[in-house]
Amino acid sequence: MFFAIDFPLTLRKDSREEKISKLRGTSGENLGWGDQMLSRTYFKTPEGRYKLHYEKTHPSSLLHYAHGKTVTQVTLAHLKEKPAPSTPTASSSSYSASSGVRSAAARWLGTGNGSRTLGFAGGNGGSKSISSTSRIGSLGTLSSSNSMTNMNFDGKGTYLIFNVGDAIFISDLNSQDKDPIKSISFSNSNPICHAFDQEAKDGHDLLIGLNSGDVYSVSLRQQLQDVGKKLVGAQHYNKDGSINNSRCTSIAWVPGGDGSFVVAHADGNMYVYEKNKEGAADSSFPVIKDQTHFSIAHARYSKSNPIARWHVCQGSVNSIAFSHDGAFLATVGRDGYLRVFDYSKEQLICGGKSYYGALLCCAWSMDGKYILTGGEDDLVQVWSMEDRKVVAWGEGHNSWVSGVAFDSYWSSPNSDGTGETVMYRFGSVGQDTQLLLWDLEMDEIVVPLRRCPPGGSPTYSTGSQSSQWDNVSPLGTLQPAPSIRDVPKVSPLVAHRVHTEPLSGLIFTQESVLTVCREGHIKIWMRPGVAESNSSNSETVLSNSFKDKPLVSSKIGSSTSSYKQ
Amino acid sequence: MKEKSSVIKGNAAFVTARDEAFLDLSLDIEQNSSITSCLKNFSSTETLNAEDKFFCDKCCSLQEAQKRMKIKKPPHILVIHLKRFKYIEQLGRYKKLSYRVVFPVELKLSNTVEDADSEYSLFAVVVHVGSGPNHGHYVSLVKSHNHWLFFDDENVEMIDESAVQTFFGSAQEYSSNTDHGYILFYESLGANNKS
Repeated sequence: MFFAIDFPLTLRKDSREEKISKLRGTSGENLGWGDQMLSRTYFKTPEGRYKLHYEKTHPSSLLHYAHGKTVTQVTLAHLKEKPAPSTPTASSSSYSASSGVRSAAARWLGTGNGSRTLGFAGGNGGSKSISSTSRIGSLGTLSSSNSMTNMNFDGKGTYLIFNVGDAIFISDLNSQDKDPIKSISFSNSNPICHAFDQEAKDGHDLLIGLNSGDVYSVSLRQQLQDVGKKLVGAQHYNKDGSINNSRCTSIAWVPGGDGSFVVAHADGNMYVYEKNKEGAADSSFPVIKDQTHFSIAHARYSKSNPIARWHVCQGSVNSIAFSHDGAFLATVGRDGYLRVFDYSKEQLICGGKSYYGALLCCAWSMDGKYILTGGEDDLVQVWSMEDRKVVAWGEGHNSWVSGVAFDSYWSSPNSDGTGETVMYRFGSVGQDTQLLLWDLEMDEIVVPLRRCPPGGSPTYSTGSQSSQWDNVSPLGTLQPAPSIRDVPKVSPLVAHRVHTEPLSGLIFTQESVLTVCREGHIKIWMRPGVAESNSSNSETVLSNSFKDKPLVSSKIGSSTSSYKQ
Repeated sequence: MKEKSSVIKGNAAFVTARDEAFLDLSLDIEQNSSITSCLKNFSSTETLNAEDKFFCDKCCSLQEAQKRMKIKKPPHILVIHLKRFKYIEQLGRYKKLSYRVVFPVELKLSNTVEDADSEYSLFAVVVHVGSGPNHGHYVSLVKSHNHWLFFDDENVEMIDESAVQTFFGSAQEYSSNTDHGYILFYESLGANNKS
């Protein structure tokens, strides 16, 4: 058997023979190379067209040589209507000014779905005026500029936080304005990763990890209210890399963790911090005896912050993700292993090796049953928590897979009660500049293809060849790299070249898919049926109907023409 | 260290196979791709038709055929040469392709005749510095005793493994980055792969 996924016939044949998820309307040639043409402003899926709605980027004039050395990541932040009464560290002047306009802003933003109406009513004009007022502000007419600036940020809103070079930019997701409404520059080191906690109880909801290892927690709202270009009201952890001076690679709030968060570093360590806790002078941890083994060390003093160090692996931890209930923590790293930990018990539950090369990204399904990983073998892996092994490989990227995510807003067309089939929709982005969408029908993944005698037809295994594969491995063990014949292959539903630069991430929202490239350009692709409704208040209605009724009522057969790009 | 190309004719079940020894694999490259992807393209099935028909020795005529190349025996040292210097017909001259082609430090060959996946580890990279095909400079990266060393004439520096990725190439055509990975050296990790 010859595994050449770029060849259309092979693609189709493999999928059919292995009875994997249906190939829905993809005919191989769309996935291959060929067209170097500019990325189109839409792509087709069975449920309709995703249209490029708008783009977000950074003012290129702000960039200097450091640009390109860091990879842009994007974080989505929903600010709720009720702002925290005030952050303790807030400067009094900006607050007195803001309270004066709060009622007006609330009334203005209070209609419809808010997050959208804000965008079109206020975002455009509003953020324009901000950029101009902040310039005036810096010249000294503070009182007037403050009221203008603060107006937008006391109500609810949805923001994009992204890093480029030595700066963090914040854009209003719902404004059509391309430029960010706020930039924060870091003089000491480049920001690498960030995370936002919508449920944060007190002010600090945004975490930022730096190349130097330093970590900050801040209030997003307070940053938006401030007119300067520096981080304000920040709590500083691992100052000057005093505890760990290797690069922060990934950062996450512990869901329901009462303000605790985890920072992963390029040297294979993770640290657990508690926000608003001043780090005591001595936060040192014992020397790691064996770099290759997992070990946990707790801080010796109760006042220490970080409170624990997890040594995960040799080489970098590249990405971490909590299951939505906060019970499990997944890590992926340079050594190519996915590891899943019981977070509160601090135990390794399961994990496994990539086909080859480092893993770069990971993401949980909403129900916690599956984990996606992507990496340097160009594959998207689907890991089953139940089986504690890889249950599918997504083949379709022509370069490293840099971002994966389940589409939790997507409802399966079969979810009409007959429901034996559980279907998941997920997306992946790669350094091949492509966004791929995938469907996974779990009941169709049967015993994988084992052997393929040259020239003969494939046969299904009786299970004797690798008995280890068929059994659920014991708790706490890591699986070796599976053989290419042991894992069912899935083909993408859609492949679209969304940017001209390698991609670094994607986010699904209720209305859209967001893609971001390494250089800091973000594109927002509206879901079918949403893009038509640019005008104001129809949003709520539309998004509801979008959720309620299945978008595709019948299974899409093998017709390939209709979804061709 | 054999490369095997087989030709299958369209109208008959003839399969001709020819073994060829190789010292390196010369791969066509694409913008924003990976070595994995280039290897797949290298081994993908090519249809010989129209002006490229296959001359069949048995029927002494040109026939439509399919051709593909597989690795018969995975070498101990796998040398991959990226075809960065390409003759562009429209221009009537050679051009350097600065494409971004990512290469992992770990690689498996799956386009082999044998079933087993052979595993490789990157240990050296020859880098071409320069924007054109007719001039430039070569530097190299070599892994020695688990450390990466950067060799530039008489200068030798220790570098971090993560610095290897600065030699992948440029995602955009016009870029100030002119240092591109050109020849890659992988060593087999398998015990039973002797050259």
